[in-house]
Amino acid sequence: MASVFSGAPPQSGPGYSFKQTPTEAPSGTRQHGFYPYTDNGGSTLGISGADFTILAGDTRHTSGYNINTRYAPKLFKIGGEGPDNKGASIVLSVVGFAADGEALKERLDTIVKMYKYQHGKPMSVAACAQRLSHILYGKRFFPYYVHAILGGLDEEGRGALYSYDPVGSYEREQCRAAGAAASLIMPFLDNQVNFKNQYVPDSGSGHELQEKPRTPLDQNHVLELVRDAFTSAVERHIEVGDGLQVMIIKKEGIMEAFHPLKQD
Amino acid sequence: MNHLPQAWGRPRDDVYGAYDQSHFQMGGPNQHTQSPIVTGTSVVAAKFKDGIVIAADNLASYGSLARFTDVKRLRKFNDQVVVGFGGDVSDMQYLDRLLNSLDIRENYGSDGTPLNAKNLHTYLSKVMYKRRSDFNPLWNHLLIAGLDGEDKPFLASADLLGTTFSAPTLATGFGAHLAQPILRRSIPDEAAVPNVSREEAVLLVKEAMKVLFYRDARSMDKYSIAVVTKDGVELKQDEKLESQSWAFAEGIRGYGTQVN
Amino acid sequence: MTSIGTGYDLQNSVFSPDGRNFQVEYAVKAVENGGTAVGIRCKDGVVLALEKLITSKLLKPEANKRIATVDRNIGVVSSGLLPDGRHFVSRARDEAADWRRLWKGPIPTATLANRMGSYVQAYTLYSSVRPFGITAIVGGWDSEADVPVDGEVGSGPKVGSGGKKEGAHGGPYLYMIEPSGLYWGYYGAATGKGRQIAKSELEKLNLSEGNLSLEEGVKEAARIIYVAHDDNKDKEFELEMTWISSVDGPTKGRHEEVPKEIREEAEKLAKKALEGDDDEDDEEKMEE
Repeated sequence: MASVFSGAPPQSGPGYSFKQTPTEAPSGTRQHGFYPYTDNGGSTLGISGADFTILAGDTRHTSGYNINTRYAPKLFKIGGEGPDNKGASIVLSVVGFAADGEALKERLDTIVKMYKYQHGKPMSVAACAQRLSHILYGKRFFPYYVHAILGGLDEEGRGALYSYDPVGSYEREQCRAAGAAASLIMPFLDNQVNFKNQYVPDSGSGHELQEKPRTPLDQNHVLELVRDAFTSAVERHIEVGDGLQVMIIKKEGIMEAFHPLKQD
Repeated sequence: MNHLPQAWGRPRDDVYGAYDQSHFQMGGPNQHTQSPIVTGTSVVAAKFKDGIVIAADNLASYGSLARFTDVKRLRKFNDQVVVGFGGDVSDMQYLDRLLNSLDIRENYGSDGTPLNAKNLHTYLSKVMYKRRSDFNPLWNHLLIAGLDGEDKPFLASADLLGTTFSAPTLATGFGAHLAQPILRRSIPDEAAVPNVSREEAVLLVKEAMKVLFYRDARSMDKYSIAVVTKDGVELKQDEKLESQSWAFAEGIRGYGTQVN
Repeated sequence: MTSIGTGYDLQNSVFSPDGRNFQVEYAVKAVENGGTAVGIRCKDGVVLALEKLITSKLLKPEANKRIATVDRNIGVVSSGLLPDGRHFVSRARDEAADWRRLWKGPIPTATLANRMGSYVQAYTLYSSVRPFGITAIVGGWDSEADVPVDGEVGSGPKVGSGGKKEGAHGGPYLYMIEPSGLYWGYYGAATGKGRQIAKSELEKLNLSEGNLSLEEGVKEAARIIYVAHDDNKDKEFELEMTWISSVDGPTKGRHEEVPKEIREEAEKLAKKALEGDDDEDDEEKMEE
């Protein structure tokens, strides 16, 4: 009797579904209707000087052609006291997918705070920079879709600036622009900060031609560069505008400023 | 009927076609929500001097079918916060139950400050971000309206990707295109908020709802509107759009009598 | 203590030859030392009151609440071992949450009492556990209004298939659960040190007639706690009181603490009533 209930379907007679039961999943790739990323636009930039680092970012937050809000900060103080991060000396800027940026900031901030609780001293920027790289690489196969720039002062008190790709490659640099208008701002920075394509006048031609020597830039001058970079980017990129958030990291602390940008 | 019990009750393939057993697969990749099914359209909200006005219509659509016409998409939380839901209705119901259980647990602690809109927004955005990171999103766009810890008006959004932002006026879905420009005309920035009265804000939001009803095909003229202030939530769920005029439709090709 | 020395009281879940579980009876002893707890089922709500004995002058007055809320509409007060009471409440909250997950609505008070009765009873069955050292009074108001299903979005059909059924439902509920797992529904319930006095006072209220209002219930509960308290023998105490009214009553169907003004008024009346009793006694003595 048992064979009647557990046996194979009858060989003769009409077909029933159980006879054709597929034993494996349908072949071919399955299409996913959900894409977990979006681009929230905006741009950031950072420049390090002799005894300061400046980070800046516009405050426009977009989805496609929509402006979600005209004020969404992209610069975050990391590892200070309490929710306002009082006394912090490290700043993280993130641009790209804002939700990932927020999550990344939250993780790094917690880690840097914990470091201070456990070791009784603030984390150095170099250590924080490498830790950030590890956080990003930890999600190598489902990355935080952001371009991060980390700014602070190194152990000698010089401006320190680190820039990252979404999966954690990083490098200490003099200056870096990231985000939607990076390709507009970066060449300007190359020219104005690292004096690319600038030569000493009348130094000759061909091999005689001398590059303009790189000198540390003055803080106010850098600030002017930053503001010029953004006013220019706003003219040419639709995802950049509304406001400019600037943070200047010096040994006295972090100064924060806000400048309006065009809202068109 | 035959003598083979395996066949009893089963549709014959020559009559109905073979059953697609792939729906019955247990192994293999997990299928999560790929698209919303029953959906609510826009939610609009604006800050004013001492609070927030928020509104959403009472329609839940099944594709282009106006499926449920009495669906309340504004949900009250502990008499201090209103959450407006756009997008999938079943995910909204899930979130509503989640908030309900959160509220019950919050009240177990004998006293202490109740969760405000800012707290709730943080919570909800983390829920949304977690679910998108699990590739199992809650297909909603939420507006959270209330006050922050300093009793100042708070209005912020969270969506299925976990994206968050805050602004003096917000609108989800179609409203982001149609209502937001109208709202921004009156309340362009945070500095404008202290000059907006409650009455002005209510009028403004109602006007936005009317524009959405005229132009959003997945909208309807019955809606809910809530005002959140320090004194609590005033929620009206059976409002009807007033003073409609379809006179403009006359001139629109394909709308009125003029066909070609 | 006929049990001592017989050996049948050394292990839980073991019967004595005359059919008793001594561990359970010892648990009852633990309850008998606790502060008096009282519950009154009124016509439009339930009152819970507790004589909270002050174990130290260093404890902040009016802090450390002992009457707990389960879901939104149920209150639990217990007498006996405090940590056992907290575990009881924790379990009751889990039960209420599980019920909500399954049925998308609040657990009926009767069902919660039943589940908690079963839970407490299970602690009399195994040698690896001991019975609960508490007697718990569970009071609740089951909503008389149509409660929307959690997450419900519309009102549903007004008439016909799937329409709402008219008629009264819901109301006040009061249960008392003992260490054995025994539980009954009560008009008025009392446990702890002063339970005998409290019970005789409750009986005088004729609660079965269903005439006592919630406001009167609050005053009576306060008075009973004061009457049951023995000034000479007991430590000082604080009166803790909560109530649950109907949906259109003062608590809107929720379990809440009785507002301070109302409680203090009730306490004032309770003290006055006590003094009145003393006066009567004095007068009687005078006559003698």
